[in-house]
Amino acid sequence: MDIDIKDWKKGIIAGLVAGTIWGWVALATNWVTGFFPLEESLLYELITFGIGGAVFGTVAAGFLVLTRQHLPFKHLLPKAIMLSTSLWLLLYFTGAWLSATDHERYHPVMDETIQGLALSVVMGGLIWIFWRRPVKAAQ
Amino acid sequence: MERILEKDRSQLKSFLFALVIVAIAFMLIFIAFGVDSVVPGIHDLFHDFRHSALGMPCH
Repeated sequence: MDIDIKDWKKGIIAGLVAGTIWGWVALATNWVTGFFPLEESLLYELITFGIGGAVFGTVAAGFLVLTRQHLPFKHLLPKAIMLSTSLWLLLYFTGAWLSATDHERYHPVMDETIQGLALSVVMGGLIWIFWRRPVKAAQ
Repeated sequence: MERILEKDRSQLKSFLFALVIVAIAFMLIFIAFGVDSVVPGIHDLFHDFRHSALGMPCH
């Protein structure tokens, strides 16, 4: 099976940029809500949230490249939101399973869970925005 | 001959690209669950990110 490198590159770059920005949006959101008291310096948080967001965004965008033609929506925005949220749910339920098997180490916190779910929707929106940008520039 | 070599190069490029994507996907798993046994120190490194951005269950 051949991979359309151009299509993948476009998706991965969109995911990388959207994810990095999403990491900083998540940092700002948590600063406003105060759901989790941050333990490190701002510079450290900016770097780790940026890297973590970029990884999450890249994987979500990768799935979007791979499956977008098979998803049950016409427009890209609901497809991107569906994928980023599904990826988050997959991670979350795996975490919940870990919590069931080792509750001493993993226990879910409702505030953080709701924040994470809401932010995964935001991730879909950001991927959509950065996916569309190069298309507009090419026209 | 040239066309065959070009096709091989394109397939190798695709394969390497796929490898990078798979590596990034694994990295997401390691970050999300803080798998210290695979990547030592990753739990503490992304601890705040895991709680605040992903909302993952953690200690």
